[in-house]
Amino acid sequence: MITVKLDDLLHARRMTLTELAERVDITLANLSILKTGKAKAIRFSTLEAICDVLQCQPGDLLHHEPGPDAG
Amino acid sequence: MPTSFPAALPIARLVLRVLVILNWIYAAIVLAILIALFANPYWTVTALGFESSDQPGALILGARLIAALGLVAVPLSLIVLRRLLAMTDTVRAGDPFLRENAARLQVIAWALLGQQVLQLLVSFVARVASSETHRLHIAAFSPSGWLAVILLFVLARVFAEGTAMRDDLAGTV
Repeated sequence: MITVKLDDLLHARRMTLTELAERVDITLANLSILKTGKAKAIRFSTLEAICDVLQCQPGDLLHHEPGPDAG
Repeated sequence: MPTSFPAALPIARLVLRVLVILNWIYAAIVLAILIALFANPYWTVTALGFESSDQPGALILGARLIAALGLVAVPLSLIVLRRLLAMTDTVRAGDPFLRENAARLQVIAWALLGQQVLQLLVSFVARVASSETHRLHIAAFSPSGWLAVILLFVLARVFAEGTAMRDDLAGTV
């Protein structure tokens, strides 16, 4: 399962989701979908924009957690 | 890009509703003819325009079969019309790209295929029931009808794939 650590990064950068939405030019609705783990996919352009603003790596934002059946 | 015709959908809905009514009227007429072909077959075939046939038995049997096959076409037409109406409802609701519409297109394609097969059967019966004095000619093969069947199967598949792609994109940020 892929989890999105957007909350942690926003907290570390002292930024709100609304501010991030304005700076990356992505709608607040889409960022909320991403933050709550409801997104099915993320475009590279979105990932790049978020990493530019939050000064992070994609690996800081996206984590992989093995599923319950993984060995 | 071709410009849309805003009135197309309301006109289509109206036409479809009228066709549903006409389909039921057609069913009533064919049923009445079928009943008459059993109740008073000689009078009925005469009233239908066939007089002094040299093979009355074959003609009457043929007419009964054709009427029965005509009744089978009624539910097939209703399947097509009802599903088309349901699809126009989804367009009105603002989102026609649904899995249900892909399924409806496929069902419509199968119903049209059934109607083309019926046409082949009716033509065969008409040929067999024909006599020297009364030749019943009903076209067996309708190129546009069969083309429509193929078109609809392809369209149903395209719709299904497009809907799946749209669903995939729906959760993309």
